[in-house]
Amino acid sequence: MAYVATRGGERAIEQSERLYRAELGQIDAARVAEIRHALPMLIDRVMGEASLYEPDLAALALAQAGGDLYEAVLLLRAWRTTQPRLTIAQPVLQDQLFTLRRISAAFKDIPGGQILGPSLDYAHRLLATGVLQGRPYVPAAVQPAATPAPARQPSLAAWQKAQGLVADPARADVAPDDIPDLTREPLLFPAARAHTLQSLARADTGGMLALGYSAMRGYGNAHPTVNELRLAEADVRVRHPGGTVFSAGRVKVSQAEVTSKGKSGLLELGFCATLGWNEVKVISGATLDLNAPGAAKGSPVEEEFFLYHTEPVEASGFCIHFKLPHYVTFQSSLDALRGAKAVPAPHEPEKVPA
Amino acid sequence: MTIATLTKPWEAMSYGFLDASAKRELRRKMLKAIAVPGCQMPYASREVPMARGWGTGGLQVTLTLLRPSSVVKVIDQGADDSVNAASIRSFLSKVSGARETWDTLEATILQSRHRIPEERLRADQVLVLQVPNPEPLRPVEPNMSVARQMHADADYGRLWLILYEQIVRSGRVMQGAAYPSLVNGRHVMTPSPIPRWDVPKLHMAQHLTFLSAGREKRLYAVPPFTRVEPLVFSDVPFQVEDHAALTCHRSGLTGYFMNEIPQGDGGSQFELSDSNLGIKAIRQAEGADARIGPTWYENGKTS
Repeated sequence: MAYVATRGGERAIEQSERLYRAELGQIDAARVAEIRHALPMLIDRVMGEASLYEPDLAALALAQAGGDLYEAVLLLRAWRTTQPRLTIAQPVLQDQLFTLRRISAAFKDIPGGQILGPSLDYAHRLLATGVLQGRPYVPAAVQPAATPAPARQPSLAAWQKAQGLVADPARADVAPDDIPDLTREPLLFPAARAHTLQSLARADTGGMLALGYSAMRGYGNAHPTVNELRLAEADVRVRHPGGTVFSAGRVKVSQAEVTSKGKSGLLELGFCATLGWNEVKVISGATLDLNAPGAAKGSPVEEEFFLYHTEPVEASGFCIHFKLPHYVTFQSSLDALRGAKAVPAPHEPEKVPA
Repeated sequence: MTIATLTKPWEAMSYGFLDASAKRELRRKMLKAIAVPGCQMPYASREVPMARGWGTGGLQVTLTLLRPSSVVKVIDQGADDSVNAASIRSFLSKVSGARETWDTLEATILQSRHRIPEERLRADQVLVLQVPNPEPLRPVEPNMSVARQMHADADYGRLWLILYEQIVRSGRVMQGAAYPSLVNGRHVMTPSPIPRWDVPKLHMAQHLTFLSAGREKRLYAVPPFTRVEPLVFSDVPFQVEDHAALTCHRSGLTGYFMNEIPQGDGGSQFELSDSNLGIKAIRQAEGADARIGPTWYENGKTS
């Protein structure tokens, strides 16, 4: 039994996990509620990457993972994938969204107006250190405008299409049940458009920013202009078995459309949408989408490259797997290395006289 | 007829963790993989409660195969008590009721990372290898769409070119583990990163082997009695690791794949990589009843 005594993996992993969880302490409903209440942007980011819109579960996952985003996303994805897919909701149309923020950088003003909505874009990023000295930060009250902005806003691209500025790709009408579902099928290339958009929607925010930023800096083919950025709430409309279509509730969504002048002489569009409000992600994703057509194999703006490498669960899992023992493969390489040293060096090729 | 007779009571988790739709997809892809040996079958690869890269591909195949009567062995680098193997094994038994074992002879399903046990597997056993990278062409063609086309064309010339260049540069083939091998004379596969020592164990074997990469969403299979031939030149034979003459300092066994343990005096000691084979040999020496089955290698040579 001496062979085993030096190891003891099972006890070690149990105690290692306990050590980690002891640091996080007791997790109760109050902690989960506080996370949900205090960190809505983080909840949105995690829900988007998990492709599961459930703020309470997202807050629970964050509590359980102690704020490790990749762990939280994995917890949610592993839970989500075991749940039955009950029905397919009706398509969400842009001009039906309950829009809270909608801006365009392409025009000074647009039909429907520039609606700033909630944003830190123009805030001075000053740390409120007074809070730590006992002076709570109380946000100033919002003063409503005399006339509220319309709840629904038209799509800017629709106006551009009417003007003949934007190519209008042929519309493919797919029955809801036939929409390919990335969570039930592998991603293959060339990817179905639905798979591309689904993959962008659940991509890792940081990874997408890194690759999107590389395209913005010049490793892409097209410089993006934000045609339309929108934060909204969407009705999830589903069909009751009795035939009635009803709203099962609202989800926060964000979407970005970026544009640049294409070779065809028309404007080309890149698009990205996700669950939750996450502006950095949708602008980066739309930029990658804009740059993808015709990109060289292996370039950061090629679809296969950026979709594979921004998958948060796969990328983070593979990264941390390098902590696992690799001594068998290492031994195998070492054997080849020693073998090569033992073999006399191959002959120098004969010099051909000039 | 009532609703109650048509439905089952709610349960927190399906049998074997994966839900029925995930298992159905996996079974279909596993059957396809058996039908076209060595050919990579894409599958959805659901998230499981373990991080990607930690055996999630092997786990999904094993979960699909498990029955309450199964006996399951899990090894990592040859060891049953390696932390990740222990974690996977306890998850498998927890969600399926299958019995756990360390003994290769007893197991009906063996999930492994980087090794094939030294005792011969039988026709009633299934080996599930965890695969980090299923694509043998990755070193020459990282783009998967292009690599897929190359498989379709059996366009494997660049793999031979790598081996040729290694011989020219270093005087020998330098490929360590994951040695590219031609399956059934048609598809080149990477046999997961098992050492070269283990590749001959797949050739014309009695048992079925599944190789599954969860992160890369690909699985492939080597059915029983299928040719698995490492890529070689006719004048440069395939070489396994030079371990035939090494002796395990714990069990005293010679002629199996070893772990090298560096010593303070500058030298090395060796111990069996197949840890349970070592345990059984030690028990035998102590007079206990521990049966060691026939092994693929005898006296350091394939038998």
